[in-house]
Amino acid sequence: MDKFSLKGKTILITGASSGLGKATAIECSNAGASLVITGRNEERLKDTFNKIHNTDNKYIVSDIANEDEIDKLAESCSVIDGVVLCAGVNKTIPIKHINSKEINSLFCVNTIADILLIQKIIKTKKIKNNGSIVLISSIATSFAAKGNALYAASKGALESFSKGLALELSNKRIRCNCIRPGVILTKMAIGNYASYDLTQEEQRYPLGYGEPIDIAMGAVYLLSDASKWITGTTLTIDGGRTLI
Amino acid sequence: MTLEEFVTKFAEEFDETPIEEFTATTKFKDLEEWGSLTALSIIAMVDEEFETQLTGNDLRNSITIEDVYNIIKEKQN
Repeated sequence: MDKFSLKGKTILITGASSGLGKATAIECSNAGASLVITGRNEERLKDTFNKIHNTDNKYIVSDIANEDEIDKLAESCSVIDGVVLCAGVNKTIPIKHINSKEINSLFCVNTIADILLIQKIIKTKKIKNNGSIVLISSIATSFAAKGNALYAASKGALESFSKGLALELSNKRIRCNCIRPGVILTKMAIGNYASYDLTQEEQRYPLGYGEPIDIAMGAVYLLSDASKWITGTTLTIDGGRTLI
Repeated sequence: MTLEEFVTKFAEEFDETPIEEFTATTKFKDLEEWGSLTALSIIAMVDEEFETQLTGNDLRNSITIEDVYNIIKEKQN
């Protein structure tokens, strides 16, 4: 059996209506998984749904910034073998302009929603033993950029959480790992880098900017049995950005 | 917000440059303190004060503070 295959596995993917989540859904489907995809925007979520081909896939429209909707999502979700938490937001805010509204809006989606969703999935026994949880962090956690401190903090909290999670779930052999992407040209990154010269920044990437599929393939690996002895780690996928 | 008030808001984003140096016709990119962080601060200030998304390109296309003000007004219409 191909250890990299996801055949027979059911995978939940958040943030699947665009960017990394969409690419992850497509590649998990190509690797044979059945999917439960979720996102805020029904039209865009349907677009992803139409690009995945397993017959027992389903989609659930959900705004995970709202705890009631996280509850409903965890309730209506089938029993899964793995989850990739791709929903995320970013905003460039210099320290002087940080306020509680901005902190709440970034942490609400990037950190709190993921933690609550994982908690509910575990509590309701929706994830099978030997399952895999993949969290999307960022190279920003250890690689500072001006205006990015709050985003980095929200992802850093998630990474630290994943360590404790990996340890607590180890008795069920449920693995938990993070992926740290560099800049991928998604709508979110382009919006965030509006203040930068994107071309100039790309010169700092030895392999150039990444594509969503580069992160998706990392997620497929961490979901598959090929990575069955990997837990509590972070996989940096950044085209060499953090080398220099 | 009037142009004059905007100039004051603009000046407040700078820590070292004296406020007297700022007028509507100030070529802000010539200021010693101008850089990526001040640019990000201007963008954040415009977002807060006008609920308008200024881009890096908007700043690149501006020479004076009044140019920035005009771009914001145009975006609001």
